[in-house]
Amino acid sequence: MQVTRRAFTVGALVAAAGSMSVMVKAEGNKTVALLFDSLVSPFWVSGIEIMREKAKAKGWTTLENISNFDDNKQFEQVKAMISRKVDGILIIQTDAKAVIPAIRAANAANIPMVHFNRPPAKSDAYSVAIQADNRKIMQDTVNFMVSQAKQMGGKYKACILIGDLGDVNAIQRRDGFFDVVNKNKDIIDVVARIATEWNADKAFAGLTNAIQANPDINFLVTSSDFLHPQIEQVLKAANKWHKKGEAGHVLFGGFDGDEGAYARLQDGYLDACGVQNLFLEVDMAFGAFEDLWAGKKPDKLLLDPGFVITQDDLMAKRDQMWGYTVWKKMQKG
Amino acid sequence: MSTMQAIAPGGTAEASRRRRGLAVRLLMSEYLVPGVTVIYFLVMWALVPAIATTETLLDILAAMLPLLVVAIGQTFVLIVAGIDLSAPSILATASVVGASMMTGDGGFALGTGVPVLVGIVAFLAVGLLIGLLNGVCTTRLGMPPFIVTLTTMMFFGGFALFYTSALTEDGSSFGDLPASFVAIGQGTVVGVPYSLGVAGVVMLVAHLVLSRTVFGQWLYAIGRNPRAAAISGVPVRRAVLWAFAISGLCAGIASVLYTGRLETGTPVLGQRILLDIVGGAVIGGVSLFGGQGRVTWTLYGVLFLSVVDKGLQLLGLDLASVFAIKGLVILCAAVLDAVRHRLMLRG
Repeated sequence: MQVTRRAFTVGALVAAAGSMSVMVKAEGNKTVALLFDSLVSPFWVSGIEIMREKAKAKGWTTLENISNFDDNKQFEQVKAMISRKVDGILIIQTDAKAVIPAIRAANAANIPMVHFNRPPAKSDAYSVAIQADNRKIMQDTVNFMVSQAKQMGGKYKACILIGDLGDVNAIQRRDGFFDVVNKNKDIIDVVARIATEWNADKAFAGLTNAIQANPDINFLVTSSDFLHPQIEQVLKAANKWHKKGEAGHVLFGGFDGDEGAYARLQDGYLDACGVQNLFLEVDMAFGAFEDLWAGKKPDKLLLDPGFVITQDDLMAKRDQMWGYTVWKKMQKG
Repeated sequence: MSTMQAIAPGGTAEASRRRRGLAVRLLMSEYLVPGVTVIYFLVMWALVPAIATTETLLDILAAMLPLLVVAIGQTFVLIVAGIDLSAPSILATASVVGASMMTGDGGFALGTGVPVLVGIVAFLAVGLLIGLLNGVCTTRLGMPPFIVTLTTMMFFGGFALFYTSALTEDGSSFGDLPASFVAIGQGTVVGVPYSLGVAGVVMLVAHLVLSRTVFGQWLYAIGRNPRAAAISGVPVRRAVLWAFAISGLCAGIASVLYTGRLETGTPVLGQRILLDIVGGAVIGGVSLFGGQGRVTWTLYGVLFLSVVDKGLQLLGLDLASVFAIKGLVILCAAVLDAVRHRLMLRG
């Protein structure tokens, strides 16, 4: 039999494609789609890494898609995963309402859908959402700061950096802050509310203006730890970046529990941080899949109670703080 | 035992010439992009068999239709050697203004008895008006289309966010849209989406306008040489103004399809698809330098991008791999296009 070069090339291509097909199809017991809208902050990067590790430990295969904040693209990605006949879809949507057609499509295909960290808007479609108990965690964080303030005595001028008010997490964190400060008006006066829209540049400009207008701000809370670098920069420029116990220290509270928060707690600049228990949230999400596969019907919203970490209990609690895991990796790298 | 066939030197030259001729014909063919799409599809089929199911093919169709409509509008502007960067913001502004008319959560037109009709008119009016604004600034004020549409993109992108945060409780989007409106984006007849009818009409009308009307010929003439076109009596400013208006109107129509599909009027609709809009037209063969372009070419380009996207979505790879593969595939298409243009210039 004679083989021409063309026949050889075509044959080789077909064989290569065929072997890749086998490779792609060689899947584990369950296949779960991880659909993120972005990987723009350490929280999400750590989240997807923890999910990959935990899924691997369970013998599951993961498929990934990032929508880059495009609701329509994410809907197409959900449909693609339905075509792949995955066993579950874990989604982090951009818009709580625009995700509803995707939930309906998953329901129609009988594929469980779990929302991670952001619940969808109310609808007749069924899915399970895992969310941090933002309001409670923020209340606990600010309560700790208030107790510190009371110990030190004096009056406090407070500032809060608020997130994007289109994000329910941002609203709940803001509300948790005001729940506590409104009960302590005798010592805390909120002089600045900065709408950051989760934008670091806006946070920087807003805080700069707030400090210029109120140079005596000495109680600061951010709705997300990813804004710490901007806060540090502004406080340093205003000569207000001092460790706990030093003169001029600004009582500083964070939220999320990222690697920057861990470092600042360890260095003594951050007083308290409300931590979203990312490890627990991933366990809850995967547990919801297992329940759904077993025919159970979990509640539509499952809350991660989170916890507050402070300089005093940092060593005892840091292993539960996802930012500490990231920080350790950075130290090794 | 297998052996490579030996070919005589004279035959080699002849065969090589024939092969080169075939390659040139293939590169010059307007079916090059559909051909590349088919090859990509076949490779993906081997990797992910799910791409060839009826369900997935219908998904590709449903996903590409709104993009096709907005890219057809872009084609009109590209033919006159312009560019419309504001298309994503037109999508977003039309989405929130139109949805605010008919949302069950206090829509402005709920009392009229025909909220869906009022809403759709609002979608189209927003698109047309922003398109006209682009056209007026370009033709009457002599501003470069790039600057005009870049600034309208920024302004209306911000306006859509402001409008939404001012009028909604959660500040993020307008939901609870009427079922009859949602059906435009999601409904099907025997599995065929309604949106195919809308996109089909837009395609047909655009094709007829470009290929069978004097206005269409004016656009090509302006794109090739606006000064020569003006000397020949073509009303250059008026024609360019209407090219931008058509682009805006098409974005308004596409916004109806996207908003119906998502059941939500959102101020971030289409904010990340500018590259797909312009890329879809250009990959299909519409020239960025003007004077060249057909609706069918835009269809080929949009189909190519949609199939590439769907293939990568089905693979479910991590972000770095997706960017690398998509970049490589589009680069290959761009290189083929560049080679084709060089061959074309050589005659």
